[in-house]
Order: sequence, then structure tokens, then C-alpha cells
Amino acid sequence: MEISRRSFLKASGGLAGLAVCQPLVTKTAQAATDADSASHKAMLIDVTKCVGCWYCYAACKKQNGYPEVNRPTPDDPPDLAHNVWTTLHISEKDGVQRFRKQACMHCTDAACVRVCPTGALSYNELGFVQYDKEKCSGCGYCTQYCPFEIPRLDEEAISNDRIDKCTFCFSRVTAGGQTACSAACPTGAIKFGNRGELLEEGKARVTELQKDNAKASLYGDSDVLGGLHVMYVLDDAAESYGLPADPTLPAPAVVHEVIQWVGIGAFFAMVGGFSLNYLVARARIAREEKK
Amino acid sequence: MEPRIVERFKKRTVVFHWVHTLAFLMLIITGLILFVPWFGEGAAGGATRIIHRVFAVVFVVAPLFYLPLNLKQSIHFFKESFLLGKGDLGWMMAAPDYYFGGPEEKMPPQGHSNTGQKMWGQVCIGTFIVFLITGIILWFFRGDVSPGVFQWAMVFHSIAFFVAFLMLFVHVYLGVIHPRMTESLKSMLDGKVSVHYAKSHYGKWYSEVAEEGEEH
Repeated sequence: MEISRRSFLKASGGLAGLAVCQPLVTKTAQAATDADSASHKAMLIDVTKCVGCWYCYAACKKQNGYPEVNRPTPDDPPDLAHNVWTTLHISEKDGVQRFRKQACMHCTDAACVRVCPTGALSYNELGFVQYDKEKCSGCGYCTQYCPFEIPRLDEEAISNDRIDKCTFCFSRVTAGGQTACSAACPTGAIKFGNRGELLEEGKARVTELQKDNAKASLYGDSDVLGGLHVMYVLDDAAESYGLPADPTLPAPAVVHEVIQWVGIGAFFAMVGGFSLNYLVARARIAREEKK
Repeated sequence: MEPRIVERFKKRTVVFHWVHTLAFLMLIITGLILFVPWFGEGAAGGATRIIHRVFAVVFVVAPLFYLPLNLKQSIHFFKESFLLGKGDLGWMMAAPDYYFGGPEEKMPPQGHSNTGQKMWGQVCIGTFIVFLITGIILWFFRGDVSPGVFQWAMVFHSIAFFVAFLMLFVHVYLGVIHPRMTESLKSMLDGKVSVHYAKSHYGKWYSEVAEEGEEH
């Protein structure tokens, strides 16, 4: 009887272990294969074509219900916020201002999705990272783990601060349209399309730029977090545009997952240990009392 | 049934124990759903975050009231928990057989807390400090500290949870379920144990109490 109980506990512990691994495994497996999927949409942003007109910023705000009539000044660019999902990152080189449209990169292997405890953040089959604001608990892990520091919470709101970020114009894109920012861009710096095609286009553009500029590069190919769904054509080092050269999933996220698994395993081991201890101790004490 | 007449805990200690227990249980439930991946949706919407914070305040404030009001006992508790001696080595050697139902005589007489309870005391105090510091960072300083500090605060909050939760599991198992600890839970309800239980479980402490009783 004792053996059957132990093997039962062992088996149930194993099953529970599998249940823990399963969502994480599928998450990673999905991440590994999907970036090249033909159905995936993406944006390609060519910083050499951006003139800093702020049309993308205004279109984004209008699309998402935060209309803005004032054009920001380059000296005081608005930071990303719960009501600012697209802005311009501004840097200077040789006295000339350079602009980079800044918003969610829609990673294939997204840190935010991985650390979100409630499942509010998830992958859309078109490749972008979507979120369900109703599911968000406001823990803010996504804001602290994103290597690009994109997601924001309404810091003014007391206890009902919830995630906001670029949605990849969910309603427009799933209806077959393009994103508001790409539609508004007058210079063709923001292009919307199939990721595979944009990737080829970006590579061709970089080859062209490299004739005069060895620093030209494509940012966001599959070497960056499994492949980004917002890719950049850059004419200078990534850092000079405020982009991390080698963004990765922060180590504490992995450490935390290990702790979770070990903790769950330890719990089941203890349930087994206590059951065994109880049966043995009770039997021995009873025998002692009989004497 | 022997009458339980030896005072082991003061009434206010009993009250404090259960207030702190309630707060910690609520913190466990609302924290566990963030810790165990397949419970995650329980935190959706954020109601549990508010509950977690309400009971976090109780958890922190309760000892701030209890400690100064019971300074002598509290100092004794801290001293007893952290100053381990030769007797504790004896407990550790004897404990495996004792808890698996071996003969009681082989366990050396214990003071008010045995070594296992001292270790639980250390865990309570240690994890309390970690919970407090990391909890304050997670609650109040998101965005003010660097993401790295926030990330590690979250990791250490979880490590403290891991340790405290599993040790609580040991504490509850021994106090409530283990066949040898027949009066443990009762003593935490009315503060008293029987002479037999005091002698057999806390022999050293009982002889001190008995001596004091004779003196008075």
C-alpha cells in the first residue's frame, strides 16, 4: 500500500512537472519557428529617409484615441507613455539631428510575453505582440524586462495602472489594412508589409548604403530576439540611435523561471516526504505504545 | 487526558501568531498565482494585487506593534533563534530518528524552542527582511530604480517566498499533522500545554519553569 502511494505521488509529481513545462516549451517553440512564417507582417523603418515630421506620432495618437494637435519640438521629444505609443528618438551627429521612430519592436521571442504572469501579453498569428488590457494586473514586469523599455503603465493611476504600448494597429492590420504610422509617413521611411519581403528589401537597401557607408546595417533580423517585426535600416551603430547592440532576455527572467520550477518540484517532493514520514512515524509510535 | 496547565505562550503572543498567519496566508494565495505559471490568470484584472498590498501592510505592521510591546520576550526570541549551541547539534543528530517515530528518550531535552523551531525563527526573520526590502522596491520604486534592480528584487522576493512557503509547510506539518506533536496546535490556541507534553518535548524549558514556580 505504501509503495503504491509513493509511486502515485511520484507519477502525479511528474505529470505536474510536465504541465509546468508545457506552456513555456510551446512559447519558445513558437518563437523559434514563426519569424520566417509567410503570414507574418512587419514594418521596415529606414532612418535615412526619416525627416522628423512627427506625422507617425500624430497618426498613432489619433488612431488610438489620444489626439494631439501640437507638433513636438525636437529639443523636447515626448517620451513613450500610456498615451504615447509612438515617438521619435532623437540623436545628433556632426551637429545634425537624426530621427528614429520608436515604438514596440514586436519581438519573436519577447521578454514581455515571457514574464507576464497573467497571460495578458501574447503572440498574434500575424507575428506581433498583442495584449489584453482586461487581463493585465498592472504588475509592471513587462515594463522592467523589455530590453527596449517600450511598455508603459499609467503612473498617475492608483492601483488600476495597466499596460499600454503599440498594438501594431490590431484592428487595421487584422482587417487587411496597414498601420496608421506607415500610412501617414510621407517619405516612405516606414513601410508595412510581409516580413519576408521587407527583410529582403531591407537587405538590398543596406547593400546599397554600404557602398558609401560601411556602418550601414539591418537591425532586427533573426539574430535579434528571434527576429523583430519592426526592423531598421541604420546608417550608423545601433547604440548611436539609442538601440541596444545585442538585446537579450534579461538573466533574472531565466533565474526566476528556474526558481519557479525548483519550487514546484520541491513542494511535490515534500508532499511525498511528509506522507512517508507520517506513515512510518505513526506505525512506530503505535508499536511502541503497544509494548 | 492530562490537564493542560503549563503556560507556553502569552495570550497576546497567540493573537499575534494568528494575525500574522492570516496576513501571510493571504499573501501566499495572492502571490502563489504569480509564482506558479498555470495559476497566472488568477491575477488577471489586478484584484489580487490590491489584496496582496493590504495584507502586506498587516504583515509588516503587526510585528511593529507586537515587538516593542513585548520587548523582553522578543529579545529572548531573537537570541534563542540565532544563538545556537552544543545542544542544537545533539538535536540535529537525534532529529531524523525522532521524527520518524524513534524512541523519545534519545532526544536531548530542549529549551523553549527546539533547534528546528529556532531554524524556523531564523527563516521568519530572514525572509521578513527580504520580503520587506524587495516588496518596497516592487511596490513603490518601479521606474525609479534601474530595471536591473527591479528584476533582481522580483527574483529575491520569489526566493524568499520559496523558502518561507516550504518552511511554513514543514511548520504546519509538524505542528498540526505529525503524530508526535499532539498538543502543538492546541498550545497555539490557548497558550497552554500539559506537564507531560512540556516534560517530553521541552524538558530543559520545563525544568526552568518548574524551578521558577517553586521559587515563587
